[in-house]
Amino acid sequence: MKKSLSALVASILVLTLAAGCTSSNNATPASTDTAAPGTEAPGKKPDSGTAEITMITLSDWDKHGLNDVIAGFEKQNPGIKVKLEMYPFRQLFETIEVKLGSKSKEYDVVTIDGPLVSNYSAKGYVDPLEPLLSSRDWQSKWIESSIQAGTYNGKLMAAPMNTSSQVLYYNKDIFAKKGIAPPSFDIDKRWTWEQIIDAAKQLTYDTNGDGQNDIFGFSFEQIGRAYQMLALSESLGAKPLSGSGLTATGFVNSEKSLQAAKFYSDLYNTWKVSPKITAEESGDFFATGKVAMFVGGTWNTGKFNEAKVNYGIAPHPFFAGQKIATPTGSWHVGVSKYSAKKEAAAKFIDYLTVGEGSKIWFNGNHDLPSNNDILKMINDDKKYDQFPDNIYRIATYEAQHTAVPRPVTPGFLEFESLFNKAYDDIKNGTDPKKALDDIAVQMDRQLKKYESLAK
Amino acid sequence: MKARYVPYLFLAPAVVLLLIFKVYPIALGLKNSLYAPGFIAGLDAFVGFDNYTGLFADHVFWHSVYVTLFFNVFVNPIQIGLAFGLALLLNARLKGIQAFRSVSFIPIAVSLPIACILWNIMLNPEQGVMNSILIGLGFSPQPFLTSKDQAIWIIILIATWKGVGYWAVFLLAGLQEVPQVLYEAASIDGAGKWDRFRDVTFPLMKRPLTFVTVADTVANFLLFAPMYILTKGGPENSTNVLMEESFNSAFVYSDPGRASAIVILLLILILLIIGLQFRLLRSKV
Repeated sequence: MKKSLSALVASILVLTLAAGCTSSNNATPASTDTAAPGTEAPGKKPDSGTAEITMITLSDWDKHGLNDVIAGFEKQNPGIKVKLEMYPFRQLFETIEVKLGSKSKEYDVVTIDGPLVSNYSAKGYVDPLEPLLSSRDWQSKWIESSIQAGTYNGKLMAAPMNTSSQVLYYNKDIFAKKGIAPPSFDIDKRWTWEQIIDAAKQLTYDTNGDGQNDIFGFSFEQIGRAYQMLALSESLGAKPLSGSGLTATGFVNSEKSLQAAKFYSDLYNTWKVSPKITAEESGDFFATGKVAMFVGGTWNTGKFNEAKVNYGIAPHPFFAGQKIATPTGSWHVGVSKYSAKKEAAAKFIDYLTVGEGSKIWFNGNHDLPSNNDILKMINDDKKYDQFPDNIYRIATYEAQHTAVPRPVTPGFLEFESLFNKAYDDIKNGTDPKKALDDIAVQMDRQLKKYESLAK
Repeated sequence: MKARYVPYLFLAPAVVLLLIFKVYPIALGLKNSLYAPGFIAGLDAFVGFDNYTGLFADHVFWHSVYVTLFFNVFVNPIQIGLAFGLALLLNARLKGIQAFRSVSFIPIAVSLPIACILWNIMLNPEQGVMNSILIGLGFSPQPFLTSKDQAIWIIILIATWKGVGYWAVFLLAGLQEVPQVLYEAASIDGAGKWDRFRDVTFPLMKRPLTFVTVADTVANFLLFAPMYILTKGGPENSTNVLMEESFNSAFVYSDPGRASAIVILLLILILLIIGLQFRLLRSKV
């Protein structure tokens, strides 16, 4: 009796805890849920004529222009209120999986990283955008590569908020201190990675005599993330996936991909010119003068100006004698399939990507625009000849001539997660060949489930 | 005759709630583990035991099983041993012992995610205070969570820091239930400190110890937050416990079937281990 009783107690205990845990998987990760100021008067419910739409998006975007966009939109559309729900980078993707995977009606506007448009479309998270958009001339409004990134099976699924490009930032003070000539702004005098390493070795040093380097020669911004890392292998002519986007073995671990990964590994483990930090910390390292050279997005100028770093700008490096490849692509917005207010959502997307909102967003976020009107304005306005706005001169050139988009695959989320994991391990000292061979097998297994989608 | 049904009537509300909130999700998990994502209008395909056979052929899964067992083989004895030691110390009749009790329970009051983030800042290899201390003392800086050899031990350390005070509360309550007369009687019979511990304290502590052992084991098998927050299962999958692999399967690799299969296998594994623990710790008192 006693035995069976204790067994019963044990099973109930296990069931309780195990079930408690499975259900916590379905719970929302802690959110930085912030309603944009001015979008919702506290204690006052929107009246019956007002529709409130919710946009799930990235942390801090309220401060980087999105609140201004919303203010402008609400002025034009008094019947619609926009609420933001914001998450950090990695949590944004997980929340979308949890919420849209369970067909939640909570979100109307979904922020989507360009390469994930096909993934979300395949999984049925977003509705085709075209029938909902009121602007009929969007095709002439955005650059071709951004339209392509937002299209799945010939249908526009998501509209581009912007595209992106990367430049080489350098700290003038650190260069001057070591007496090294900094890289040139001139596109034709672009530095090679070999030049970067030469300089970085001299620019990595100890300032307080404790035997530990505290100034580092070089850092990427998006450390370990496919967005920036793929430009290395692309420069060497490697493709990360097969043409169908469903095979990784022989591509992500090809000889040339491995060469790129070795270079990345050497930065941290052989030459030790890069600090072993995370993508979240890298910008602060440059802003506080701990990194001499920094390959990062155009959006950093605001931050660096604020931090009063004495910095200069140069074009993205490349491997000597090889192709020039730069990262590109960026955030899109789509309408959730489960939204009950699709028209209001599309109206906001229209304002943000085609309408006046796109310019407000550019002024706040400093990303490279996808909107042709703004690109033309940059081209014509003399203001963009001056530092630091001339960063867009480089960025526009790269977007037109050297940009290589990330691979097209319905399994991009799986590809990127495993790729990032491998590059994190490589940074921490794992043999690049082992890391890439391991993920190639895992990627193949994860991508197999999308074979039914390939025609 | 009527009286026979009365106890069941009283049990019914609890049983119904257990069925709805505990048994049903498990049944749902079991069902999900037999399906694979279909991508067309949310129609999932029935695949039988493919998710399970897929797991058995997958070295990432077996590595996670290994990591989960490795973690538990160390963390449980360490936590229970330290918690028992702490409970014995806190049970001492000293002036101001209440203050010591409060201090040792502080980690319980810190939420695990916050504790993880604070530890992560302290253990940051480039900027963290731990490495500053090590360098100040003349040691070389350590990679901590970025090393595949150290990461799992750091998580054991954090889990222990957090868990010891909590489990000690239960053991302390058990210790205070041991009647003083037994100690007095044992002393009169000439039992020394060690004899009293072995023949009085330990046998009477078997019940609370069984509870703590079982509950702690379950909690640690299902521990997920530190791996999720600190290492994402890395470096080189060295902290990729089954819970982390299950989470990733569901919410990163879009494969809820595989995730459910992992959880079901984990459930079976825990039941087996707990059955064993009950057998070994069966109280004869």
